[in-house]
Amino acid sequence: MSGHGSAQKGLATRAVQALALAVSFGVMFALTRLTPEVDSRLGTMTAIGFLVLAGTLLSELFEPLGLPHLSGYLLAGIVGGPHLLHLVDHHTVKQLAQVNTLALALIALAGGVELKVSTLRSVAKSLTYASIFQTSIVLVSMAGVFLVLSPFIPFAKNLEWRPLFGVALLWGAFSVTRSPSACMGILSQTRAKGPLATFSLGFIMLSDVVVVVMLAAAIMLARPLITAGTAISIDDFNVLGHEILGSISMGTTLGLALAIYLRLVGGQLLLVLMALGFGVTAALKYVHLDPLLTFMTAGFVVQNLSSQGPKLLHAVEQMGSVVFVLFFATAGAELDVPLLKEAWSIALAMCVLRAVITYLTSRLGSRLAGDPAVVRKWGWAGLVSQAGLALGLGIVIEGAFPGIGTQFRSLVIAAVAINEMIGPVLFKLALDRAGESDKGEAVARPSLPPPAPVH
Amino acid sequence: MSDGIWLLLGLLLLAYLGSNLVGGRAIRGFGLASGSEYLVLGFVLGPHVLNIVGRSLAHTFEPVVLVGTGWLALVVGVGYVRVAERWISPGRAVAGVALGLLSCAAVTATVYFAAPQVTNFQGFARLAIALGMGACASATTRHSVRWVVERHGARGPLADFAADAARASALVPPLALAVLFALAPGGALPSVPIIARIGVTLAFGAGLGLIAALLLGRDFRRDESWGVLLGTGLLTVGAADRAGLSLLAAMFAMGLTLAASRHRLEIKAMLTPTEKPVLLPVVVLAGAYVNLKLPTVVFMLVVGAIVAKILIRVLLGSALAWGPARGTGPDFGLSMIASGGFSIAAALAFSTRVPGIASDAVLLFAVVSTILGELLGPAALRRSLARAGELHAVDTHEIGRPSDAPELTGRESHG
Repeated sequence: MSGHGSAQKGLATRAVQALALAVSFGVMFALTRLTPEVDSRLGTMTAIGFLVLAGTLLSELFEPLGLPHLSGYLLAGIVGGPHLLHLVDHHTVKQLAQVNTLALALIALAGGVELKVSTLRSVAKSLTYASIFQTSIVLVSMAGVFLVLSPFIPFAKNLEWRPLFGVALLWGAFSVTRSPSACMGILSQTRAKGPLATFSLGFIMLSDVVVVVMLAAAIMLARPLITAGTAISIDDFNVLGHEILGSISMGTTLGLALAIYLRLVGGQLLLVLMALGFGVTAALKYVHLDPLLTFMTAGFVVQNLSSQGPKLLHAVEQMGSVVFVLFFATAGAELDVPLLKEAWSIALAMCVLRAVITYLTSRLGSRLAGDPAVVRKWGWAGLVSQAGLALGLGIVIEGAFPGIGTQFRSLVIAAVAINEMIGPVLFKLALDRAGESDKGEAVARPSLPPPAPVH
Repeated sequence: MSDGIWLLLGLLLLAYLGSNLVGGRAIRGFGLASGSEYLVLGFVLGPHVLNIVGRSLAHTFEPVVLVGTGWLALVVGVGYVRVAERWISPGRAVAGVALGLLSCAAVTATVYFAAPQVTNFQGFARLAIALGMGACASATTRHSVRWVVERHGARGPLADFAADAARASALVPPLALAVLFALAPGGALPSVPIIARIGVTLAFGAGLGLIAALLLGRDFRRDESWGVLLGTGLLTVGAADRAGLSLLAAMFAMGLTLAASRHRLEIKAMLTPTEKPVLLPVVVLAGAYVNLKLPTVVFMLVVGAIVAKILIRVLLGSALAWGPARGTGPDFGLSMIASGGFSIAAALAFSTRVPGIASDAVLLFAVVSTILGELLGPAALRRSLARAGELHAVDTHEIGRPSDAPELTGRESHG
């Protein structure tokens, strides 16, 4: 994603951007209306071009409003996606999901690189308190909220108390998930540095591991409550233990290999990252390891056991400038707008209450940890976003509990849709207000690289 | 892991090799002039020999290949008008375009009139296969000229003429395909006249190129420049394909428009390093696409086209020996026979509108033509330059590098 610190752009620039945006929508609109029957082999490529261009331009046009670039990317996907203008159809959106593999690998790598041991040590107390409180209180409170609101939730209102309790527990587990991608996206755009940025990144990356463990526990406990005749099984934890330890081991190896490559060769990093994003992710899935944790560990190792962290981060950001746009635009196109229309009221209520509980918990944790004022005031803002991890959790729950899974997942999607749109705005607002935006890079970069010398 | 992932990793490996070759090591160390070893590699990996890259697997990557061909056209378009720090001379450019057009016309006419005699190609299929082969026969690869010039330290009017003419001839394949696609029945613009369809193809590419140039000219940040270039490029390729227009022509027009912008050097600096990483996987997959299970008459047609190409080039070379290629004789014509990635790209782009045997025949022609050009072209150019007294005129490290050749690394530039 691009930097934040650029000079104010003039009206002419905005006019050109708006014109280009109109042309990109116009071309896609004309194509889909004039040739509805044509099944182009390049449909996915066209969609990538459109989403990258429209996302980039919308994010630029949103800048004067103070909105994050992510909102522009998401909106490009929502408007051009299958539920509104239908410029990109369902099939193409599914195809584009493969690109997400690369994006998630980059996000995890970048997240790991950003985690310096020295920095983590400085905020260790904050992270410990926040992890304990944000996990336990949000889990229990949101489970309680689900129980209270269950009469208004179509699939929950007729459940008996045991299964209702189980579903509420799962909702609590879902509510604890955050969005590493949104966090990285905003930090990358704003190039924020400071206590709030450090805390948010550290907490969200660590909570990713916590959530995986907690989800396994929640499913283990919920299964006998929801599905009659089943008992608590600790097999899930056995598998999980292997997955976590295996991922960390693999990530360490990968990180060391990357550090050696960066030191000895260092070139063609974009291609290396692509190979890692697609190839290593496929290999990790094949051996049932977690790609997110593996890449995060790899990034962490490169940063803390070598001097190659900045080089890796630069390469990830360079590639991310296109991949992240596509990732979030695809996420926008995937948003089930009709479903959101149906379930918006209950989903909104859930989201508002989650945000309130997150805020209160953050204040409590920060006070006990003795956090700086900006973290006490704004520490909650980065924790509102939910995205891929939450949706993935919805799929896991749908698979584990076929009876209620589909409807549960629908509610998850609606809630994620709201949090995905509001969360990044809140986080960027917080970083701006905390004065941490643009601290990472003082000078705006030029529009184009300097010309190569011609001999 | 799926075969697709393995193939993707293989292509990324090729792209990795390609990006290393881009620094100039291929010129000074290893690698053939037109890169036909990668065609052979693809063929060996393909269904006819090892079958590691089977037909269906190779076709899974067809969209990537087509985007690659479009991207190559964009890179060629952006670097079209300049060699090193100088503009290509208008006179030489006209000669280069004429060379390409006459070669295209000769091969097209040969195949067009021979087709009914030996095959059952009729109507549009007959015209398509003829013009398709003509398009692939028209361009001389600039890499081959550069390879010889840089290896042998050549400098002088003939070396400049060869470089300019090769570069200028790249205009013909996109134009020929623009015409061919406009002539094809169906498509998104069935009621639009043919001339207008050609115009729409070029205007569409130029229009999106203009938008990209305007956006890049504003104070966009560096990272976003890639979003703009990639976004407009993919949109152009995809939209042209869906509308039944030539994606190669549209992307070439886009490249020309970008080349006319005031930021052309910066844009070229961004795009040039991507050429080889894109070219190598495209060429390898093209090798894998080669289909030899064709009727014998199709092979006869391909042989006829090859003979026509050689003859017209020798004739043109002899004619040029009275002018800019004085004293070189037919050798200069043979030296301009070298074709490469761009002709392969034209053959692959052809398949988007005319699939089936015609497309297999055109690809086979492009591949055989490239390999033959590899055998004849560089040696003939070296002889021509020797006769003109331009060989070893300067130290190889003092050779002016074309403007679309990336900077040498310190190690390379010193030896």
